[in-house]
Amino acid sequence: MRKLYLSTLLLLLVCWCGTALAQQVNVSGTVTGADSGIPLPGVSVIVKGTTTGVTTSADGTFQISVPNQESVLLFRFLGYEVQETRVGNQRVFNVRLNPDSKQLGEVVVTALGIAREERSLGYATQEVKGEDLTLTKEQNVLGSLSGKVAGVQMTGSSGSSMGGTQKIQIRGVNSVTGGGQPLIVVDGTPISNANFAGRSGADYGNLAQDINPEDVESINVLKGPAASALYGIRGQYGVVMITTKKGKKGPKKVDVQLNSAFSVEKVGNFMPMQNIYGGGGSQTWRTLANGEKYVDGTDESWGPKMDGTPVRHMHSFYPQDPMYGQLEPFVPQPDNIKDFFETGHNLNNGVSISGGNENSSFRLSYNNTRIEGVEPNTWLKRNNLGLSASLDLSDKITASANINYANNDAQRPSQGYYEGSRNFMQWFQRNLDMKRLKNYKYDDGTFYHWNIGRPNAQGVITNWRPSDWNNPYFEAYENLNNDNRDRFFGDVGLTYQVLPDLKVSGFVRSDMYTQNIESRIAAGGRSVNAAYSTGKYQNKEMNYEFLAQYTKEWNDFSFNVNVGANLFDRNYTYLSQATRGGLTSPGFYNIEGSSERPAVASYLLRKQLNSIYGMATVGYKDTYFVDFSLRRDHSSTLPDPYYYPSVSASFVFSELLNWQPLSFGKLRASYAMAGNDVSVYATSMNYEIGGLYGTVNTSFVPDVLNNPLIKPSFATSYEVGADLKFFNGRLGADVTYYEQRNEDDVITLNVSGASGYSSSYINAGLMVNKGIEIALTGTPIQTQNFSWDIAFNAARNRGTVKELYPGLDSRLLESNTYSGVSMYLYSNVGEQFGSIVGQAYQRDPETGKILLGSNNMPLYTTATHNFGSVLPDATGGLQNSFRLGKFDLSAMIDYQLGGQFISWSRMLAVKAGLAPETAAINENGKNVRDPLAEGGGVKVSGIYGPGVKINDEDVSGREFTGFVDARTYFRNTLGTRIYEEWIYDASYVRLREIRLGYSLDKASLGSLPFQKVGIAFIARNPLMIWQKAPEGLNPAELATGSSSFGWLETGGLNTVRSYGVNLNISF
Amino acid sequence: MKKLYIFLLACLSLTSCEIDEDINVNPNKPSDASGGQLLANSMLSLPGLSSSTQAQFMAQYLSELQYVGTSLYPEGATNFYGWYTGPLMNLETVINSEELDGKEGPIANQKAVAKILKAYYFWNITDRWGDVPFSQALKGNANFTPAYDTQESIYNNLFILLNEANEQIVTGSISNDIVYGGDMERWRKLSNTIRLLMALRISEVNPSKGKEEFNKALAAGIMTSNADNFVFKHLALEVNENYWYSQISLQNRLTWWSLSENLVNTLKATADPRLPVFANTNDADEYAGLRFGSPNGGDPLKYSTLGEQLWQQDAPVYLVTYAQALFAKAEASKRGWIEGGDAEAEANYNEAIKQSIAQWTGSTTEAADYLANAEVAYNPDTALEQIATQRYIHLFMHGYEAWAEWRRTGYPNNLVSPEGKDVPTRLMYTATEAANNTANYNEALQRQFGGTDGLYGKVWWDK
Repeated sequence: MRKLYLSTLLLLLVCWCGTALAQQVNVSGTVTGADSGIPLPGVSVIVKGTTTGVTTSADGTFQISVPNQESVLLFRFLGYEVQETRVGNQRVFNVRLNPDSKQLGEVVVTALGIAREERSLGYATQEVKGEDLTLTKEQNVLGSLSGKVAGVQMTGSSGSSMGGTQKIQIRGVNSVTGGGQPLIVVDGTPISNANFAGRSGADYGNLAQDINPEDVESINVLKGPAASALYGIRGQYGVVMITTKKGKKGPKKVDVQLNSAFSVEKVGNFMPMQNIYGGGGSQTWRTLANGEKYVDGTDESWGPKMDGTPVRHMHSFYPQDPMYGQLEPFVPQPDNIKDFFETGHNLNNGVSISGGNENSSFRLSYNNTRIEGVEPNTWLKRNNLGLSASLDLSDKITASANINYANNDAQRPSQGYYEGSRNFMQWFQRNLDMKRLKNYKYDDGTFYHWNIGRPNAQGVITNWRPSDWNNPYFEAYENLNNDNRDRFFGDVGLTYQVLPDLKVSGFVRSDMYTQNIESRIAAGGRSVNAAYSTGKYQNKEMNYEFLAQYTKEWNDFSFNVNVGANLFDRNYTYLSQATRGGLTSPGFYNIEGSSERPAVASYLLRKQLNSIYGMATVGYKDTYFVDFSLRRDHSSTLPDPYYYPSVSASFVFSELLNWQPLSFGKLRASYAMAGNDVSVYATSMNYEIGGLYGTVNTSFVPDVLNNPLIKPSFATSYEVGADLKFFNGRLGADVTYYEQRNEDDVITLNVSGASGYSSSYINAGLMVNKGIEIALTGTPIQTQNFSWDIAFNAARNRGTVKELYPGLDSRLLESNTYSGVSMYLYSNVGEQFGSIVGQAYQRDPETGKILLGSNNMPLYTTATHNFGSVLPDATGGLQNSFRLGKFDLSAMIDYQLGGQFISWSRMLAVKAGLAPETAAINENGKNVRDPLAEGGGVKVSGIYGPGVKINDEDVSGREFTGFVDARTYFRNTLGTRIYEEWIYDASYVRLREIRLGYSLDKASLGSLPFQKVGIAFIARNPLMIWQKAPEGLNPAELATGSSSFGWLETGGLNTVRSYGVNLNISF
Repeated sequence: MKKLYIFLLACLSLTSCEIDEDINVNPNKPSDASGGQLLANSMLSLPGLSSSTQAQFMAQYLSELQYVGTSLYPEGATNFYGWYTGPLMNLETVINSEELDGKEGPIANQKAVAKILKAYYFWNITDRWGDVPFSQALKGNANFTPAYDTQESIYNNLFILLNEANEQIVTGSISNDIVYGGDMERWRKLSNTIRLLMALRISEVNPSKGKEEFNKALAAGIMTSNADNFVFKHLALEVNENYWYSQISLQNRLTWWSLSENLVNTLKATADPRLPVFANTNDADEYAGLRFGSPNGGDPLKYSTLGEQLWQQDAPVYLVTYAQALFAKAEASKRGWIEGGDAEAEANYNEAIKQSIAQWTGSTTEAADYLANAEVAYNPDTALEQIATQRYIHLFMHGYEAWAEWRRTGYPNNLVSPEGKDVPTRLMYTATEAANNTANYNEALQRQFGGTDGLYGKVWWDK
C-alpha cells in the first residue's frame, strides 16, 4: 500500500512538470579573483533569499538555475567581498571578486542534504574535502577520516591492510551498552555500515568501504543531535554525510581523469622476542632410548638453550622427510616470524569521465583495486562503478540519479587467538625455521606440523595430529576464508521548482547488498573433521522521500521552511549452512558433502520506519538566525510513534563589529533531541528451536526476556560554540562545548540468571558526555610560490555513566576468560564508561608494595580490581600541507591520549617464554632462567601477605627481596593470573599519511594531450612516532570486527606500512 | 496553491498510514513450544551434570598431565546461571503451563517428569554451591533478584516435589522422552531413588529426617535393576556426542589427563575388573596414575590415560544408577535406618559391586573373584568406609556426586592436597551475582560462610 502512495506521489510530481514549465533560468559563468585574475574554485554561488546554491569548480566555473530574471546571485568566498548580481537578461557571468577583510561563510550540506549557508547554522559542522581523504589512497573512506575531524575517534585495524574494520565514534560513547555507530549517508541515501567480522577469524571490515574514495567530493560529520535531529530515531549517534563528485552543467565540456596508484606493503612493528631458549617445558633435554636428544613438540619456549646441540627436530620424525632420523643443530631463528610475511602489493586504477551541457550533467567513474596481502595466500579485488547524472527536463524540473556499484572478492587472513597464524607471537618455539615450515605438505599428501605429541622411546610418533597449533602455512593454504559482496546503492529523484520560492522534490533511495562468506577447515591438521560453512546475507533498504523547501525574504527577514516525509523499509535475510561430522569426500567443500545433517539457519528481518519532519529557519539581517525542527518517527519495532525536536541559533557578531583583524565571527547555541530504536522482534515473547536428539525435536525458553513496554532511547544535547576567522581567513578557530545526555537506552539488562533469564530488554541508564572540540586552521605563509597550511584539531570528552537501573550500579559489557582467569569490561555508575576489571597484584595498603606468598611469588586479587576506563581522554590530529612551486607535501598525524587495553599477545608471549624478559640478564649478571642456586631467577621484592607462613612460622608483614624461578614467575603467576601486567595505556602519536607530489600543468606539458599531470609518493602508516604501549602492539589498531570496543587484543594482525606512487592525469 | 495542498495531502497520506503490526512478529522463532519439546530440551542438559573436568578434579579421578592449573584448585567462581536459564526454566514452564497437549501423553505425567528433573537439577546445584535461589527463582521479570533459600529448605521442598511426582504419575507413556522412552514406571523409580539418595545425603546433619525420607522413598519403590538406570545415552552424531569424545577425540586431548595415582593404586591393589575399562596402560603396558595435582604434570607416555570406551562418541553418561541405590541401602542397614543390620548391609554391598561391575564391564563373571578379595570383602568393622570407597569407584567420572559423598563421609581418605590446597568443599557462586543480585548474595554469604565466598565454606549437610 505504501509503495502505491509513493508511486502516486512521484507520478503527481511528473504530471505537474507538464503544466508548469518555462520560468526557470539557467545561468553560468566564471569567478576570478580581482587581485590575481586567477579563477577561484569553491566560491559559493547562492540565489539570494533561498537555500539554492552551488560552488564553483576547479576552473572557477559554475552553473546554476535561478527561479526567474529577478533573482539575485550572491557570490561568496573566503577572504573576498560578497558580490550581488541581478540576473536580468544576462546568462553568462564573469565575476571578479574583490578581496575583503570581512570573512563570510560557505555553503555546507546539512541533514537531509539541505544545502545551507554555514553562517546560519547553530551547531558545529566540520567538513573534510575529498582531496584530503585520498591523500594516500586509503581504501576505507572512514579510515581516511582519522585525525581529521575534532571529536571523531577512529579505531582502525590492520586487516592486514585489506579493508579491515574502521570503527568511528563521535563525541565519545553515547550508550551505556557501548554501542552506537553513526549513520552513514551518501548523497542523501543512508547506507549500511554493518560488519560481519567477529573478534576472531577474517576481518571483513565495515561495509562503508564500498564507497569509492575517489568519488568523494567532501564529508561532513554531523556530530550530535543538534546537527542530526532531522534524522530523528536514526540520528542519536551522529551522521557522516558524504557528498560525491558530480558533473557540471554549462557549456558542453568533458573532463577525463586517470588515477593510478601502486604501493608495496611491508609488515612492521614486530614484537621483540628472546633468542636464547628454544621449544620445551624444561631445560633438561628429552632423549630417545638411543640417547638422541629431541625437541619436544610443545608450544612454549621454556626449553633448553639453543646452543647448537645436535638434536632431532620435529621434522626428523616424519618418515617422509629428507632429514628423517637425522640430527641437526638446535639454533635460534631470530627472524622466524618476519620470514612468514611477504611483501604485499596494492594496485589501484581509476578513471572518471565527467561533463555536461546547458541542461544536463553526468559523471561516470570506475575504480579497480587489487591487493596481494602481506600474509601468504591472501588477496582482495574490488571494483567500483559510479554514475551520477542530472537532467533538466524543463526550466523547473530536474531529474537526477546517483548509482553506485561495488564488488569485493577476497581471501583474508584470520586474526584472533585460535585461528590463523597469530599463535607464533603467543605459543611458539623460537627455534622453528619458518622456511622449513613453508614446505608444509609432503609428496604423499601428509602435512608437516611442529606441535605434535612426543615420540616413544624408539622415536616413533603414532599420533600425528597437532596438539593445539597447525603449521602456519597449513592455515594459510588449507584453511581458507573467502568472501565476496555485490552492492548497489544510490537514488533517483525529481526536483520541481513549483514557485519561485517553493521547491519540492521526491527521491527513491536504495541500498542493497549480497554478502557471501565461506570458510574451510581442512582435515590433516588440528581438527579431525574437515568442515565447510557458507552463508549468504542479503540486505535491502529502501527510502522513499519527499521534501518541500520554501524560502522567502521579507524586509530584513529571511525565512526558510522545509517539510518532508520519509518511509524506510528494510528487508534482511540470510541463509547460513555448515557441514557436520566431517566431509564425505576430502577436499570437496560443499554442503552436500556433509557427513551428517548440516547445520542450517535461515533468517528474515523486516523493519519499517515512517517519518514526517519539518524545519524552519528565520534570519534577521543575515546576522541573527534561529532554527526549529521537529520529526515524528514511527518504527515498526516500537508500539508508538515518538517526536524529536531541536532548536538552534546563530549570531554573526562580526557584522556588528568593525574590527579589522576579525574577518568573521559567529556565536552559536543549540538544543536538540534525537533517538535510537529497538532491534526488531524485541517486544513479543517467543521460544527457541533447540537441538535435535536423533529425531526428537526440542524447544526452549530464550535466555533474553523480551519486553512489550520498550521505548526508544533519547539523546538530548546542548551545544555552544564560536567560529572565528582572522586576517582574511589566514587564521581560523572553531570552538565547541557540548553536553549530551543519553537516556533510557534500550539495553539487555543482565539479571540474575536465577530468575530464569540471563538478561531482559529494558529502558535504562543515563550516560552524560561532556566535551570540548577545537579546530584551528592557519596559513602561516602564502606567497605566489610557497604556501603552508596547517589544520589542527583536538577534542576532549568525558563520558560518565550516571545511572543504570534502580539497584544496579554495575553492568557487564563484555568478558573474556583465558586459562580459567576472567577479565571484564563494566559500565559502572559514577565512573567513566568502560572500566576494565580483572586480577591485580595484592598490595600493602600503606606502602603499596606487592604482597608475596610463601613461595615468594606475588599474590593476586580476585578478578575485582578496577583498572579504569578504556576510553581516551583526548584525540585529535594535525595536518601540514606545503606547496612550493609545483611541489606539494602533506603530512597527517593523528593522536590519542589515554585509554587502556589488554593484550593477550604480550601476556602469552611472556607466559610461553617467547618475550625477551623471560630470558633477560638479572641483577647477578645471570640469565633469569639459570638455576636459583647459581644466581639465576627473577628478582622479586615485596612484603609477605597476611597469614603467610614459611616452615610454620608466620612471616606476614616481613619484607622479602630475592630471586624466584623464572618459569614459575612468568608462566604460572604473571602470565596466567596477574592481568595488571598486561593492561597498557593506549596513548599514541602516529604519522598516518605522508604525501610528496609534483604537478605539471598544461603549459609544461606542451603538446601532450593532458591538461594536468600529478605524480606523488605516498606512504600510509609509515611511522608510529610515539606510543606508551610496548613495541609489537598497535594501540591505533584495536578494532575487532563488530564488537563495540577495542579493549582486548587477542591476536591482532600486524601493522602494515605501505609506500607507493600515485599518478593523476587529467585530459 | 491548489497544487501545494495536493502535495501536502499526498505527503500526509504517506505517513498517516500506520505501520502494520505484523512486521514486528518474529518469523524466525516459534511462538509456541510443546511440553514434550521443553522436556526433551531440559534432558539435553543432563550430561553436563557430570561431564566436566572440574567434576573429575573435585573427586580426584583425573590428574592433569599438561597445562596444569584447574586441578590445583585455584580460587574462582563457577557459574550456576546456565542451569536456571537452561533446563530449569523449561521445566518451570511445563510445571506452570495450562496449555499442555494430552497428545504427548497424560498431562499429569508430563508435569511429573518436569518435577523429577527439576528436583534432580536443584539437588545437584545446592550440593555444589550451598544455599541458592529456589522459592523465588525462575519467576522472570516478576523477580530479577531472587532471594537465596537455605539448603535445608531446598531439601525439604525437593522431598515434597519428588513425592508429588511419585503420586501424580498415571498410566500412559509420554512422547519425546529421550531418557526412558516414555516409560513412566521407570520415572517413578527414578523419583524415589533420587529421594532415597538425598535422604542419605543429610545423614550427618539431620539423621532422623534422613531416615524418615529414606524409608518413604523405599516404600514408594526405587530402581530394581540396571535397566532402571538414569543414563544419558549419547549418539554417534556431532550434535549429541559425548563431552569426552569432543575433548579427547576431536580436540586431541588424550594426553591432557591421566587417572589419578590414588585411584589407580586402589584399583590395582584389588585387580579391579573395572580398571581396564577406566584406563589405558602406559608405554610399559602397565597401569600407572599420576599423583593428583602434580604442579608440573607428567610425561603422557608414562601414565594411564582415560579408557577408550569412556570417550566414544556415543559413550553413555551414568547419572543415577541402581548400584548407587544398593550402596545407599547397604549404608542405611549399617546405620540402622532400615532393618537387617550387617547381613542386609553385606547383601546390598555385594550386589551393588556386582551391579557396578555389570554396568561398567557388561559382565558379572569377574565379580565373585573380586568380592573374594580381602580388602573388598564386607567387613562389619570398616563397612562404612568400604561402602564409601566402593561407591567412589563405582561413581567414576561422575565427579560431582563422588565429591559430595566424599564431603559427607570423608571417604576415600586418600585424596591429596595439591600444593597444600585441600579439596574444596563447595563451589563459589556466579561472580556476577555480586552485581546482579547484591543484597541476596551478600545475605546468603553472611548466613553460611561469615560473608566470604570461597571454596572452603561448608554446605548445610556437610558436618
